[in-house]
Amino acid sequence: MEHVIEIHDVKKSYKKRGSKEKIQAVKGISFNVKKGEIVGLLGPNGAGKTTLIKMMCGLLVPDSGQIFINGVNNQKNRLRALEHISVVLEGNRNLYWRLTVKENLEYFAGNRGFSKGQIQEKMERLLQLFSLKEKENEIVNSLSRGMQQKVAIFVALLANTDVIFLDEPTLGLDIETSYEIRDLLKKIAKEEQKTIILSTHDMPVVQDVCERAIIVNHGKVVVDDQVENLLQLFESKAYLFTLNRSLTQKQTLLLEDQFVVNISSDDAGKTLLEVNIQKGEDLYKIIEILEEEQTPIEKIDRTIIDFEQVFLHIVKGEKPVEMAQSV
Amino acid sequence: MKWLNLFKVNLKREFILLKRYLPNTISLVLTFYLIFLGMFFGIHVVGNPETAEVNIQYALVNYIFWFLAMSVMNGIGYTVQSEVQLGTLEQIYMSPLGAWRIFLTRIISSTITDGLIIVAMLFVSMLTANTWLNLDFISILPALLFTIISMFGVSYMIAGMAIIYKQIGSFLQISQFILLGLTFVPVSVFPLLELAPAMKGVDMVRQVMIHGFSLSDFTLFDYSSLILNAIVYFVLGVIVYLRCERTAMIKGVLGQH
Repeated sequence: MEHVIEIHDVKKSYKKRGSKEKIQAVKGISFNVKKGEIVGLLGPNGAGKTTLIKMMCGLLVPDSGQIFINGVNNQKNRLRALEHISVVLEGNRNLYWRLTVKENLEYFAGNRGFSKGQIQEKMERLLQLFSLKEKENEIVNSLSRGMQQKVAIFVALLANTDVIFLDEPTLGLDIETSYEIRDLLKKIAKEEQKTIILSTHDMPVVQDVCERAIIVNHGKVVVDDQVENLLQLFESKAYLFTLNRSLTQKQTLLLEDQFVVNISSDDAGKTLLEVNIQKGEDLYKIIEILEEEQTPIEKIDRTIIDFEQVFLHIVKGEKPVEMAQSV
Repeated sequence: MKWLNLFKVNLKREFILLKRYLPNTISLVLTFYLIFLGMFFGIHVVGNPETAEVNIQYALVNYIFWFLAMSVMNGIGYTVQSEVQLGTLEQIYMSPLGAWRIFLTRIISSTITDGLIIVAMLFVSMLTANTWLNLDFISILPALLFTIISMFGVSYMIAGMAIIYKQIGSFLQISQFILLGLTFVPVSVFPLLELAPAMKGVDMVRQVMIHGFSLSDFTLFDYSSLILNAIVYFVLGVIVYLRCERTAMIKGVLGQH
């Protein structure tokens, strides 16, 4: 399948304010994105996500490396590359608050050279999809934060580009609106067939919407894999033992020495042992430790893990062996 | 066609905001008129009564050009500054038509709206002063057009500064006084002024409106100087702006406050 975004060894550093010292925000990032993919670009604050998005949008010039959007080098032909991308940036209003919803939509489409007639049909269809038909003549300033965010995504969609960058689209929204935006993104992906790059701290959104996750930390890609794979990899490594007796001091020391464990007890007084293991054979080692002192094992469960836990494991530097090889 | 669509939405936006910020528009009109009244009565009270009419005509023409120059030359810089404050500058930069073209259509649109207000106020002022300038539009328009193009160039240069430094309010205030000096001094008094942006055109329009010159009264040198001034300043302005834009993109300060 063709790549709609190609990034080759991109680096970017900034001068620290008031000193000659430079901070390297992006330290040689490379990856490709296929047409129609929905990719979550994740990382802790200051990881380099927004810098990366701004470089892909041509708003920031990289120190070195190349970025191609639909085969167009976005440094050599910035304006031609922009024909293929639209963005909703975090921390920006992205809209004119003194104009109405419809005026904003028409204005930003016109700024891309579209006439009112060219966007009319699509605008009407999207107004229904976004449930904004009744609000089309309202001044944006009078809308809720969630509505404003929907209008900003609408503007990006109306640009009719192959790629849409969404930087923190659910930031600062209440749970209900966040769910609404999540549903909307799923609908967009399904009905509009767009390539979406989603930068967010909202892990349920990633788990729910994205196919693939690129995790950036300290300016480097630490993981690039399918969300489903990541969930499976971490899920298969986390086990919960339910024991009918408490562990001895010797067993506890042995387990803590070799594994990441969490020991607790449930309401029925049973001992719960949560263990993260690196290799399949580790499971046998644990059973051996338990059997040595004849501790009865009631059951062994795989722990259900969500993407938030996967993300935390990764940014803390914990990586399953298979995944480390895939990066 | 894309250009026309771009121009249409920016002109429409200008009219919408003019209407939506009506108190601001009214205060602009009132300020224009009140300053004119101040000048008018000042000339009558302290000036020589024999030359009062010519003095008022000079004051009026120079004043409208000062007003126009302020609005055009500071226009793009002011737009950049307000887009940064609104948090929409980076969206402007996402247009495949180029931000400089969007700003060009913005400044043309605001020149049209401000121009309409200025023309209306000019008639009100002439009525108040009971003095009538030679409004030979056929002779005025060519010189005015190239004068405005030259002003656009300066506007781009100021916008270049705004895109890097963002807060240029103090500079814009100082520039008002520089423009006041430039527009009120005739080129005949200080010929080197002809090299300054837009000043040749201002002088030619002044000749038409006050001394009744027509198109045929100007020499080929006048027209060449007028056109060259416009082209040089406009091209230079766009080049300076694009260089500043690139610098802002390298430094990462494009949308920063």
